[in-house]
Amino acid sequence: MIELLASRYAYALMFVLLAIGLYMMIANENLVKKLIGVNLFQTAIFLFFVAVAYVEGGSSPVVPADPDPGAQLIASPLPHVIVLTAIVVGVALTAVGLALIVRIYAEYGTLREDTLREVRADD
Amino acid sequence: MSYQDTYSESQVILTAVKIIAPFTLTYGLFMTFHGADTPGGSFQGGAIIGVTVLMLAFAFGIEPTREWLRNAVLVGLVAGGVAVFIGVGLAAMALGGNFLEYDRFFEVWGIRQKWGMEAIEIGGIALIVAGVVITLFFATAAGFTPTRTDGRGEDE
Amino acid sequence: MSAVAYTLVVFVLLTAVATALFRDVLSAIVVFGAYSLGMAILYTFLLAPDVAMTEAAIGAGVTTILLLLTIARTSRPSSDRIFERVNVPALVVCGAFLVVMLATVLPATEAVGDPEAIAWANPEVTGYYIENTYEDTGVQNAVTAVLAAYRGFDTFGEAVVVFAAGVATLLVLGREVFA
Repeated sequence: MIELLASRYAYALMFVLLAIGLYMMIANENLVKKLIGVNLFQTAIFLFFVAVAYVEGGSSPVVPADPDPGAQLIASPLPHVIVLTAIVVGVALTAVGLALIVRIYAEYGTLREDTLREVRADD
Repeated sequence: MSYQDTYSESQVILTAVKIIAPFTLTYGLFMTFHGADTPGGSFQGGAIIGVTVLMLAFAFGIEPTREWLRNAVLVGLVAGGVAVFIGVGLAAMALGGNFLEYDRFFEVWGIRQKWGMEAIEIGGIALIVAGVVITLFFATAAGFTPTRTDGRGEDE
Repeated sequence: MSAVAYTLVVFVLLTAVATALFRDVLSAIVVFGAYSLGMAILYTFLLAPDVAMTEAAIGAGVTTILLLLTIARTSRPSSDRIFERVNVPALVVCGAFLVVMLATVLPATEAVGDPEAIAWANPEVTGYYIENTYEDTGVQNAVTAVLAAYRGFDTFGEAVVVFAAGVATLLVLGREVFA
């Protein structure tokens, strides 16, 4: 068990972070904290991609101009690209979410989910 | 605008930003222009350039920074970035290749592939990322002014 | 894997838990910034400097600033308690999720950094990029090559998504200032 965790520490960390992000999305009443939970969940997925691309004893994905084929240990560039674009899309999505939160606050005067539900039930 | 009230001038932040800002801007530009051969690239460089402006806004106040930058510049950055990206892609198609097929530039104009990539990296992605980061910041900072509490009516 | 990396893993875990439990939203945001930074350093240890730089600039920088601006625009609930009350049903659900994942999916994954792992040792994907990047595109940074050349169309779609998100934010906030 310990050995499994030690050799797959990045994946184990990912699952723990996924669980924490999920918990934040479900349990926290504050909408801003829910959105932080979404971000946390997202970074856990990024960690998975980066860990998949990693190779022990390798180097970062910069290939020299005269590669010597077959003998190169270089982290896989493809997952890096996917994560790179996902991070930028992620912050844009977060901004849209925050804009919605600002709108909700302007409309209802609260950011707490339970209060929001009550206010909406009263309407 | 309601966000003047949150600004207070701080000597520490002002001095720190004055010292750091030129370096971060240079670093962002370096990263953008050297993305081809070293780690880094337009996403990172664009983000750092954007963050430099955010830092300036924190030090000198958001509203003065926004006036200094002008909205047309920001819209031009973002829309221009998308336009450059589409333009390069379509130019390759016009030359008989596929979308973003840089080989066509080499065959027709003798421009090496690398420069086609640099064009969309520097002229496209970096502008989009920097522009969007700054735009999102200013939009969130301005917030939403509710129409019913200040009694301005339905002018949105 | 070095001791530094394990320390980082612990740091990331602690900050994540603190983010979830701090009741004060401002504290949660600041700790989340630290979490992002720890994550960025962990990415550099996992040989992803490009991702790390983006995460440090955007995750730790821009996201934190946007969150801070939002609570400045809205409200920051004050409370005597430092930590949230633990929501037991949610905790049970998430704990069950974690246990199931660790018991079923984790043993099926390959060891991190194993050169034999399918995800890495794939001659048609990773091997192809590593061998042909310089020849095909004339750049040395394989990430840039994949981003702008091999998967340029993806990146284009992604750039448009970011553009659309900027437009959406302005629409939601009803700003005519950028007209």
